[in-house]
Amino acid sequence: MNVTTALSTVAGNVASAATSTAASASDGGSSFDDTLKQLVDGVEGSSEQANTAVTGMLDKSVDVHDAMIALQRAEMSLQLAVQIRNKLVQAYQDIMRMPV
Amino acid sequence: MSTLNAAMSASASALSAERTRIEVAVSNMANAESTRSVNGEPYRRRDVVLTSDPVNSFDAALGHASATGVKVAGVVVDQSDFQRRYEPSHPDADADGFVALPNVDQSQEMVDMLGAARAYQANLAAISMIRDLVAKALELGRS
Repeated sequence: MNVTTALSTVAGNVASAATSTAASASDGGSSFDDTLKQLVDGVEGSSEQANTAVTGMLDKSVDVHDAMIALQRAEMSLQLAVQIRNKLVQAYQDIMRMPV
Repeated sequence: MSTLNAAMSASASALSAERTRIEVAVSNMANAESTRSVNGEPYRRRDVVLTSDPVNSFDAALGHASATGVKVAGVVVDQSDFQRRYEPSHPDADADGFVALPNVDQSQEMVDMLGAARAYQANLAAISMIRDLVAKALELGRS
C-alpha cells in the first residue's frame, strides 16, 4: 500500500465521473483519462526508482547524490500529481455545488 | 517538466564526474610515497579526462539539445619522469643510492581536489535551484 495507489484510485474515480458526464458532449473525454493514468504511472515509476536508489545507497552500489536526486524527482512528480488531483477534486466539487 | 528534468540529469552526471576527479586526486595523494606498484615501478599519477555527453541523444541528433551532461572519458596515466631522492638505505634504492618516487606533486593534487570539490558544490547548488524552481511552479496550482 502506498500513496500513489490511493492517488490513482481517487484520480481514476474523478476522471471516470468527469468522462461519463462529458461523454455526450465530446469524444475527446477518454484521452484525459489516459493522460491521468500516464501521470500516475510516472509517479509510480519515479517512486520505484527512488526506492531502488536508496536501497542501492545502503548497500553502497549507488552514490549518495544519485539516491538523493532520485528522491527529489519522486517528490517533484508526486507534488505535481497531488496538485492536479487537488484541482480535479475542486472542479468536481464546484460542479456538484451547482444548482440545477 | 522535461526540460528541468534534463537539466537535473546534466547536473547529476557532473556530480558523478567530479566524484571521480576527487577519487583520483585522493589516490594520487595517498600514493605519493609508493615506490612499488603492480608493474614493479613506482606509482604514476593519474589524470581524469572528461567529455561532454548529451543527456538526450534524440534531441542532440535533431540539433537542439538543451542540457548537455558530462562523463568520464577515461583515466590516463601521467608518463612524466619520477622524482629522485637520495636515500641509500632504502630497499628500492638504485646502485647510486637514489630512490625513484612517484611523479606526484602534493600541492597540485590539493589544488585539483579543491577544484573538484568546488565544482561538486556548484552542481549541488544548481540541483537545489532546479528543485526550488519546480516547487515554485507547483505553487501556481494552489489557489
